[in-house]
Amino acid sequence: MRGLVAAIMAVMLVAVLAYAITAPSVLSEGGLPTHEADATAGQQIFRAGGCASCHASPVDGKRARGADKLLLGGGMELASGKGTFVVPNISPHLEDGIGRWSTLDFVNAMLRGVSPDGRHYYPSFPYTSYARMRLEDVIDLKAYLDTLPEVSGGSAAHDLGFPWSLRRGIGAWKRLYFDTGFVVATAATDPLLERGRYLVEGPGHCGECHTPRNWFAALDAGRWLAGAPSPAGDGRVPNITPAGKNVSAWSIEDIAYYFESGFTPDFDAVGGSMVAVQENLAQLTADDREAIAAYLKAVPAIE
Amino acid sequence: MSAMKRVVLVAALSVLFSMSAAAGDSPQGERQALMKDVRESAKVIGNTMRGKIDYDAAAVIESLNVFRDASARFGELFPAGSETGEETEAAPAIWEDREGFDAAISKWAEATDVALAGLPDTLDEAKPVLGSVMQNCKGCHDDYRIEED
Repeated sequence: MRGLVAAIMAVMLVAVLAYAITAPSVLSEGGLPTHEADATAGQQIFRAGGCASCHASPVDGKRARGADKLLLGGGMELASGKGTFVVPNISPHLEDGIGRWSTLDFVNAMLRGVSPDGRHYYPSFPYTSYARMRLEDVIDLKAYLDTLPEVSGGSAAHDLGFPWSLRRGIGAWKRLYFDTGFVVATAATDPLLERGRYLVEGPGHCGECHTPRNWFAALDAGRWLAGAPSPAGDGRVPNITPAGKNVSAWSIEDIAYYFESGFTPDFDAVGGSMVAVQENLAQLTADDREAIAAYLKAVPAIE
Repeated sequence: MSAMKRVVLVAALSVLFSMSAAAGDSPQGERQALMKDVRESAKVIGNTMRGKIDYDAAAVIESLNVFRDASARFGELFPAGSETGEETEAAPAIWEDREGFDAAISKWAEATDVALAGLPDTLDEAKPVLGSVMQNCKGCHDDYRIEED
């Protein structure tokens, strides 16, 4: 009898601990700065963040182009080794999108990976990078999203295998792997590098594709930007450290020109999913393109 | 012609023939060789636009003609059975979405024809015309090429 009580108490203790460990951590209203939201500045964040590359609804089964990139109805399917993620509607639609979200709701989604109803988001939504963003930039982004057209239609639920289907488990994953610090410490020495680091490691979330992941789908910081298998299946996402064949051979100006034009120095054209990224980069300022290029030349070279 | 010259000429010709034979052996090889020509021409137009070389309308027109000839031939170089092999970077989407692929090639051909029909005399005026040709490279490579490291 005593043994049974002890066993029940042990199970309850584990359950309570698991509940506590996996509890979402959020910012409160008092954590927001006094900042007047600027939708125009938010548009630049929208481009730097590449939100449309995933959230714009596909047209005829292909990625949205031109004005369709502003119709953020979601629905794109992201295949992964853990199952299929379906990108949600983030248009300002009141029922199907995020039209009812407060600024605080949006900040907690972007920086903490927590939904307004207190559930964890899967890191297929790259809040793991966005967590490095300045609060002001996130607030500006929300103001810009609010100006976009409402799109109706919710998207289907993710289709994930066990144990990935247990959303609460993301709480434990976050404790192990959710690191909001910057990766490349040395890039803080120079304003240009620091700006580049902010764009790459924060809103640009370049590491989410260019860095390999471990079995738990967490980025391997020891191989930061050193290339990874393509999430789409075919091909590879290239190494963009100074040890990679492109960044090693190109000058800062060459890299910035690639971002602006979509052409390498010997006029191969950008291809694959990088095309949508490059189109966004082309809309940033020349200074920001240079900052990203300078940062890429300065990160640790990893073979 | 001296005997020496003849030997050199024959040797050169046989090298050329064997190269073109190798390139023409398969659709994969042929389209890869054709794409190399396109890349060389893209370098001329691209470096002109980038300001790395002076604007030379005759050189640009020559490159545009390479584009036009290539765009006319590309469609037939992706037959069924050439989906894989010879390190092809052709994406399965070419065969799954033939219509879209053909349309992308047509867009390239049309933009090239527009540029050939009236290439402006100054670089500043030529840039947007050439830009609308050059943007077709990524317009096709985004869906129809597999990206390798």
